Amino acid sequence: MSIRYFKRRRVRSALLLSAVLIIAMLPFRWIDANLWRTEEASGWTLLLAIIVLTLLALRKRVPTAPLGRVATWVQVHLYLGLGSAALALAHVGWKWPTGWLEGSLYLAYWGTFISGVAGLYLTRTIPKQLARTGEQVVYERIPRLRRLIADESQRSVVNAVAESGALTLANFYQSQLFPYLDAPRSWWYGLRPTSELRRKLLGELTSLNRYFSAAERTAAERLFALVRKKDDLDFHAAKQGVLKGWLFGHLCLTAVLVLLSLAHMVTVLAFRGGPG
Amino acid sequence: MPTTQPILTRPQRWDEPFAADMSDELVQRLLGIEPFVRMNPADFPRSTPLAGILRNDARVVELRDGDLIVREGDYGSSAFLVLHGRVRIALESLAPDLLGRESPKRLSLWQALAPLWRKPKPPELRPSLSARDANGKVALRNEQAQPRVFLQDVPAVIGETRTAQLRAGELFGELSALARTPRSATVFADGAVTLLEIRWQGLRDLMKHTPALQSHIHSMYRQNSLRVHLRETPLLANLSAEQLSVVEKAVEFQSFGSFDWHHDLTKPNAPDFAQRISREPIVAEEGELPMGILLVRTGFGRVTERFGEGDRTRDYLAKGAAFGAAELACTTITGAPTPLRHTLRAVGQLDLLLIPALTFTQVIAPTLPRDDLHRLAAEAAPVKQSSTATPLADRTLDFLVDQRFINGVEAMVINLDRCTRCDDCVRACAATHDGNPRFVRDGMVHDQFQFAHACMHCADPVCLIGCPTGAIHREQTTGVVQINDRTCIGCGTCASSCPYTNIQMVEVRRRDGVIAIDSLTGQPIVKAAKCDLCNSHHSGPACQQACPHDALVRIDLTSPTSFANWSAR
Ligand code: HEM
Repeated sequence: MSIRYFKRRRVRSALLLSAVLIIAMLPFRWIDANLWRTEEASGWTLLLAIIVLTLLALRKRVPTAPLGRVATWVQVHLYLGLGSAALALAHVGWKWPTGWLEGSLYLAYWGTFISGVAGLYLTRTIPKQLARTGEQVVYERIPRLRRLIADESQRSVVNAVAESGALTLANFYQSQLFPYLDAPRSWWYGLRPTSELRRKLLGELTSLNRYFSAAERTAAERLFALVRKKDDLDFHAAKQGVLKGWLFGHLCLTAVLVLLSLAHMVTVLAFRGGPG
Repeated sequence: MPTTQPILTRPQRWDEPFAADMSDELVQRLLGIEPFVRMNPADFPRSTPLAGILRNDARVVELRDGDLIVREGDYGSSAFLVLHGRVRIALESLAPDLLGRESPKRLSLWQALAPLWRKPKPPELRPSLSARDANGKVALRNEQAQPRVFLQDVPAVIGETRTAQLRAGELFGELSALARTPRSATVFADGAVTLLEIRWQGLRDLMKHTPALQSHIHSMYRQNSLRVHLRETPLLANLSAEQLSVVEKAVEFQSFGSFDWHHDLTKPNAPDFAQRISREPIVAEEGELPMGILLVRTGFGRVTERFGEGDRTRDYLAKGAAFGAAELACTTITGAPTPLRHTLRAVGQLDLLLIPALTFTQVIAPTLPRDDLHRLAAEAAPVKQSSTATPLADRTLDFLVDQRFINGVEAMVINLDRCTRCDDCVRACAATHDGNPRFVRDGMVHDQFQFAHACMHCADPVCLIGCPTGAIHREQTTGVVQINDRTCIGCGTCASSCPYTNIQMVEVRRRDGVIAIDSLTGQPIVKAAKCDLCNSHHSGPACQQACPHDALVRIDLTSPTSFANWSAR
């Protein structure tokens, strides 16, 4: 079978990036040899790279403009973003810069870089996890869907009580199931979703089964399905939330990075000495 | 004396006659005029008698001067017989604005960048709500509960355009009604006119039992389109003009299935998939000897293979595809008869051209290069029996055909393994349509692929049929199915016909942002809205442009190849 498109693209882009980095070293050596300041050349290039990386945000805001597909922009972004680390190291060297502005700028850069790499990992792994759940949900609809599940569960339990008069299921529902079905999960679950609580609740529901009346048993079956559904919703809320939160964080770090870069550029230009 | 009545199987379509007001008297009068007077009632079966067809599948339509009857490019499912008066047929194409259509204007770069600074508008804002076309050449008349678009001042509007007259007794629109192809010309009323409109089901029965009508329709097809179709068939690419004429003469026409395929998808009591496949009429059966090569003229065919207790899908065919060629190539080479490996079934209406086996072996096979003939024959060899015709999994083929996604020319498919659910596609769509997204990022999921609710600009656009004003139409150059907001009267016919629920009816707002109210009914004014493939933009569909992770595609599902390639990336 032929090598898949995405794999081929990854190899091609990685080779291209390496080639560009190697070629880019040559002028720096030449500049060095001619006793110019390498920092200046690497600084301008890095600034240009940061601007191009930031332009992705603008490109995304004008979907109708004939400026090429956003997917292409993201590809350039990924490799340029990775390559920019080499520029940053060339610009600063293997040390932490002195001065609070330069220190903060360097921190902002690596913060943005690391968040970018983390995002790359998240955007490549979370979709597959989301796709595995039975139902696919739109993030904004989750609260409404959660409400529907809670309402339906309540109806089945009330019906069971009305039909049989037994309260075993109702008590368990009120103390354990309803709080679970009715509310979103904690932020901690958002970071590390597990199926622990679902398994615990379903286990308890199963162990109560022998004490249920016939009507309660029918309702319990429905509750089983609803707990599963709610768990999938929570999972989607958590994972989709992480993706959204990450992108927002990456964007905020970018804003800080761009502001600090510009401040740094102004100070450097203002206090420039050197030849001439 | 027999005590029980013989059971007659009346066609189901007659449960809902075309018109409620066709009286017996009217039917009798019709039987006395051309062309029905020359038809022999004895030639019709008892389940579909000639009088029954006229009563249930036809209706009388009265029109006034200038009324548009069919528009060039429209899809229609009926033909018309002039009963009284005259109609005019335009021999040249009329300007789109005369037909109540508007070509989308391309946006400038400046306009495309506008979302950056423009204030968002209220949803579904329509600054101009008049049904009257801006140029005042066509207008809308609302009568007999059947709104009509008419030409305001025929001589001035038509100008130099050449036209021809059709008089009482003449039939038009039959070819496109039977083949579900776009109308080839515009026809309008020349003075007051009475027409008999016959829906395709009736027309097909009339044709089946009236050899004269059948040969008339087939000879029209032979004259107009057959040669073009044969020329475009790769298998016949090497034929000389004379050889092509031989093939042309030998071709036989075949028709299977029904245009109403989409009802199976939308009815609440739709049959399940196993039933669905067994209801698809068999055209040619696995294990039998091929009668010849079957070329798909219009519609879709499902290619199946027996498997366990049922049949599984191995491929599907759309216009231009051929069936049975491999087996005939094998026969040509080995001299031994080769039975068909697969069964061909009609998914919906399937019109075919049969090139007889003898014509293939004597005329076509000798023109094929040796390698091509052997490659073709290899497909029919028993060793290859279990290899799939396409690289898609059988269950994926089953899914695409069962759900009728094979009708989609620009279907929206999302790879959920790559989609980060960022909704940039929805936002991009909204930005392109004044803040109103024209699709829903939701829909059926098969493996990791989601088939979103976005107009697929179908090969068989059932939504176009029955639009009273022609507001929903197919753009001829691009194939995009679009809606002219000005002439859409909000009747909802298109939305309820779309088997994929990809058309929404939306309440529209006036310039001041208030919901517009119809002064006659006191109800909000609604319009049909759907994906227009961003045809006013240079860069193509915004959804696909905006997807950051290559997860969303607009793709042609009428053949399995594109999807197979895309999904294997
Ligand atoms: C170091 C400088 C970087 C800057 C200034 C930067 C800036 C940005 C900006 C402005 C966006 C668009 C956010 C939005 O509007 O939605 C973005 C998105 C993104 N960046 Fe970066 N980035 C940098 C580095 C990286 C790196 C090193 C990677 C990974 C290798 C990366 C991966 C991504 C990804 C995956 C997206 C999301 C695309 C999407 O889903 O729309 N970035 N970045």
